[in-house]
Amino acid sequence: MKKTLSILLTIALALSVTAALAEPVAVKFAAQGDSTPATQAVIDAFNASQEAYKVEWVDMTNDSGAMREQLTTSLKAGSSEYDILSLDVVWAGEFAASGYIQPLDMMLEDAGLNVADFNAGSMASGMYNGKQYVLPFFPDLGLLYFRTDIVSQEDAAKLVAGAYTWADLLAMSEKYAGQGGTTAGFVFQASLYEGLICNANEFTSNWKDIKGGLEMMKQFVQSKATPDNILNYTEGETANSFVKGESVFARNWPYQWGVIKSEGTITTDQVAVAPLPGGDTVGGWLLAINKNSANPEGAFAFMQFLNSEAGQLIMSEQGGYLPGLNKMLTDERIMTADERLSMVGFQNALKTTIARPVSAEYSKVSDALQQAIYPFLNGSAEIDATVTAVEAALAQ
Amino acid sequence: MQRRMTWKEFCFILPLLLLVSVFSLYPIVSSFVYTLFDYQTNKQSKNALYTGPVLNASLYAEDCDYLVHYLKKDVETVDASDRATLQTMMDTLAGQHALYADEKSTVTLSGDTGSQIAALIAQTRRTVETLGARYPDLRIVQKAPTLLDEMETCLITGNFVGLSQYGTLFQDTRFGQAVGSTFLFTIISVALELVLGMALALVMDKAIRGIGMVRTTALIPWAIPTAVSALIWCYLYDGTSGIVAALFTRLGIIASPELLLTTQGGTMFAAILADVWKTTPYMALLLLAGLQVIDRGLYESSAIDGAGAVRTFTSITLPLLKPSMLVALLFRTLDAFRVYDLIAVLTKGTPETLSIYAYKMMIGQSNYGYGSVIVVAMFALVALIAFVYVKVLGAELIRE
Repeated sequence: MKKTLSILLTIALALSVTAALAEPVAVKFAAQGDSTPATQAVIDAFNASQEAYKVEWVDMTNDSGAMREQLTTSLKAGSSEYDILSLDVVWAGEFAASGYIQPLDMMLEDAGLNVADFNAGSMASGMYNGKQYVLPFFPDLGLLYFRTDIVSQEDAAKLVAGAYTWADLLAMSEKYAGQGGTTAGFVFQASLYEGLICNANEFTSNWKDIKGGLEMMKQFVQSKATPDNILNYTEGETANSFVKGESVFARNWPYQWGVIKSEGTITTDQVAVAPLPGGDTVGGWLLAINKNSANPEGAFAFMQFLNSEAGQLIMSEQGGYLPGLNKMLTDERIMTADERLSMVGFQNALKTTIARPVSAEYSKVSDALQQAIYPFLNGSAEIDATVTAVEAALAQ
Repeated sequence: MQRRMTWKEFCFILPLLLLVSVFSLYPIVSSFVYTLFDYQTNKQSKNALYTGPVLNASLYAEDCDYLVHYLKKDVETVDASDRATLQTMMDTLAGQHALYADEKSTVTLSGDTGSQIAALIAQTRRTVETLGARYPDLRIVQKAPTLLDEMETCLITGNFVGLSQYGTLFQDTRFGQAVGSTFLFTIISVALELVLGMALALVMDKAIRGIGMVRTTALIPWAIPTAVSALIWCYLYDGTSGIVAALFTRLGIIASPELLLTTQGGTMFAAILADVWKTTPYMALLLLAGLQVIDRGLYESSAIDGAGAVRTFTSITLPLLKPSMLVALLFRTLDAFRVYDLIAVLTKGTPETLSIYAYKMMIGQSNYGYGSVIVVAMFALVALIAFVYVKVLGAELIRE
């Protein structure tokens, strides 16, 4: 009896081992939920393209701040729970400095890839102490959306060419507000959160004109052309206002184009995009490998696949994400799939991108900037004290 | 005079003492220990409590590997006379890499290993600089300076800073503002809750028809989770669609509806109102318990003696309610002083109270050392509040 049992057990064990050998190695990918099918599609395509690895998507919270905390808590404890991490561009410096992610230079070199092949802003965000830690997931940039059916052709031409200033935009917002069923001229992100920094970065031309930029920003806040509660506006409120046809101009990320298409009361025929006067803040997400990952090769294979022509086509065609692989920006197939890339204003905006301050302690810098700028906008601080505080924060 | 405890009796309370020390004292002591270190988890040289010299071996090995990797190609391209120099450098670095490659984190440095490593880094830097004059295009020449800088950070001397972070605290204006906001929030909300809670308790104490219904209804705000009630208030205060914001604007309390959630004063007012709405029933409940143990006979005697309602309240109800009031006020003050969830959900962190500031420091900026200093300061303030309460309100209670 005992003997039979042990034989059976041995067989079972042997079977499970062979089964395990045949099974692809699971690679965990920590990423936020995607409202488009693209992320899932690219994972499926990767899993089908080879047999060694199987990428599994671990759904993270869509609240970026909470996701960062979840990741750092896990990584701080040395966990190998996630193999591939998707990171907001501003986190990469901190994660690299903390020793949470692996440098990729050797892997890139072995795969015959060059840093210059990929979106410069994304790659620069993940360059720390001379080592490259990231590949792009998808790049993003701030854009000016405007209503072509309201704005005159002459003004539209100026906007698309980027030949205008913030003061011009304020004048136009006040001029067109109320026309064509709108209630507001311009909507942007001025709530107390990271988005405020992206917007302030654009208003101050990458912190070159802090005083002038912030005073301009306050003029917008106080203007009748922006909603009274503009200081509570995040991307959500901005998109909501613009796609419902309530505002003439909006500063938002490229995703708003998709929102107009899917749930807008206006159509994309009524909308065009333009570069912002002070430059367009780079955003978006990056891919990195957990330092404690048991399968760094599998993780890199997926990152490489996503940044290959095939992967980029899926991301663009199914999700409308901008390509992180430079040569795809002018690729015929992607230009047909992504109508935004064929817009002159969009291509112009891609040429004037600016980055947020790159720092290993970005969250501290950002927090200090928010604490300095927001009180000025709501009227509880004076401009001189604000400028001093902003300069101090940037010098950190 | 109390009798001394026998050995046997002490054995009975020993488990309790152990539990207290594990669950209460240990966190306090470890928080205090953190305050003595510049402990920041997002910097590899400060991400643990280092008292002596250690080497960040994994990063050091990685950097050596990078240098070796760049050298491998460079060795082929230089003149024969320099080849030996580069080869020696490469061998030394490869040796260092092999030595520490298997280390997962830090190793304690013993003897003069630390100074040897520092000397090696300095020497490599000199060699690279000399080479750089002749071969500016070598990869090692371009890449080595930043890598060598990083290797220097691998030699960790320790991050014990003693009490100096407490000094920083006293110069920190943001901490001062947080203390101010916290006290303002606590004092106003607890005072309002005491007055309203007392009124509610007096009503609920009366034996009138349908009192059960009143008591149940009054408790509803307290039963709603704070995060949910904060969300409800968030909608009510909203600048575009919030009914409370619109009402206040109509009544002329605020100039325009969006001010409630965007200005310093507005958010303070909003947070206090939401807190008063939520915790007045709790205050009332604690006071009601106190009212119910007051001997009814006292009220009858005072009625016979001809005392009015006001006299009865000040001479019988208030003095006899003092113990309950002390407990209720102590609970509510300490609770309000630590407020976090209500403000975090309602306004994402304004007005910035001490808990919010500590959270932002520790979790947001990974600065556990200074964050712990704020927490310890909060602990001291809480202890002070409790002390004042007991001294002022409850001296005779303790003596009894």
